[in-house]
Amino acid sequence: MAERELEVMTEIHRIVTEELEWKGAVEPSQDLIRDLQLDSLGLTVLAVGLENRFRIRLSEEDAQGVRTVGDLAKLVAQRVAAPVEPQPEEALP
Amino acid sequence: MLSASGQDRSPSIRAVGRALPPHYASQEQLIAAFRELWATRHFNLERLEDLHRAVQVGGRHLALPLEAYPPLVTFQQRNDAWIRSATELGETVVRQALDAAELTPGEVDHVFFVTVTGIATPSIDARLANRVRFREDFKRTPLFGLGCVAGAAGVARAADYLRGFPEHTALVIAVELCSLTLQREDLSIPNIIASGLFGDGAACAVLRGAAAPGARGPRVVASRSVFYPDTERIMGWDVVDTGFKVVLSAKVPGLVKDHIRGNVDGFLAQHGLKREDIRHWVAHTGGPKVLEAFEEALELGPSTLERSWASLREVGNLSSASVLFVLGETLESVRARPGEWGVMMAMGPGFGAEMVLLRW
Repeated sequence: MAERELEVMTEIHRIVTEELEWKGAVEPSQDLIRDLQLDSLGLTVLAVGLENRFRIRLSEEDAQGVRTVGDLAKLVAQRVAAPVEPQPEEALP
Repeated sequence: MLSASGQDRSPSIRAVGRALPPHYASQEQLIAAFRELWATRHFNLERLEDLHRAVQVGGRHLALPLEAYPPLVTFQQRNDAWIRSATELGETVVRQALDAAELTPGEVDHVFFVTVTGIATPSIDARLANRVRFREDFKRTPLFGLGCVAGAAGVARAADYLRGFPEHTALVIAVELCSLTLQREDLSIPNIIASGLFGDGAACAVLRGAAAPGARGPRVVASRSVFYPDTERIMGWDVVDTGFKVVLSAKVPGLVKDHIRGNVDGFLAQHGLKREDIRHWVAHTGGPKVLEAFEEALELGPSTLERSWASLREVGNLSSASVLFVLGETLESVRARPGEWGVMMAMGPGFGAEMVLLRW
């Protein structure tokens, strides 16, 4: 796993354990909904946390291909490497 | 429900007053007001705007003008503002409800005051007594903490009381100023959703016992409370130094889907009824997913909860006052025929539900 993906994995682990009070392990092969038992609110909290930490934007379309923790880590790492052009107001501090 | 002597002791709901505070802000105005605050912590503001729009609320009537909220920082400042606005709005709604019921404050025997958005001692019902002049022997039951279920539960408890005192008149006053609980510094997703969904408002239901003269309106035939064990973190407050910090789980619609059908069917079966016998459904406007869960679980037609949907879109979730707003709309806009059945239902922190069986 690439260095950036490991960094994202660490952040996913932090969000699901600290903010979503998940008590178990967090592994790349785990299904976000079935294994980590994330509901719509949990998925939103996770997405917002990753967007804030890595300064990226994740969309509904992005979510189509994401099923596992590893899928999400890979997506975020790719998005960090090739960010979507920011809207004008997002360039503000 | 018949007494041992065979008389129907079901109290009736004579009128429901409703009032909204004067400061209206559209959802887009509120989003604009929140945007700068959100930007201090969050990167993708469009996602947060989408969350605010997803609750399908068009705007909210606020206790204070928008610019008056940022200076409210401490619990005391927020709660002092709550007491002032709650008393004013409470007075408005009590006078309106009594006028509609063609009664005077002196004819009120018992006031049930419900809220979850502020605290006061003496409670707001006492402050209202000094304004509208209830009799000196009127009874007071302030109820704090039932949350969204308190409108339905308040009517149910008032009806219980009136079965014991069938000549009496009771008020159920719900005043909720959710905007004054908002923790601006809490930029968590549940709080951002709550800030998009909950609004301010007050309602007052006038109930009269079966032996009180001039009975009219639907009768409260029965009620049933349901408590869901081990669901304390589904909804509620964490009380913090700055006030009430919202606890809101996405599991609420799932709980509705899992339980409400069995709860309603069991309740109706006790009275020899089925869902098909219910003509009027009065549902708490919990949010779009909660209303959809009601519709799906109870197999309701597309327009059955129309008044709940309209209330949600127009003013948001008013916590305990919401179901009374829908009840008031139902009483005034529906040409119910004698003998028709209705069910009022709400859910709230506990987690739990209250169902009230009505008959016109």
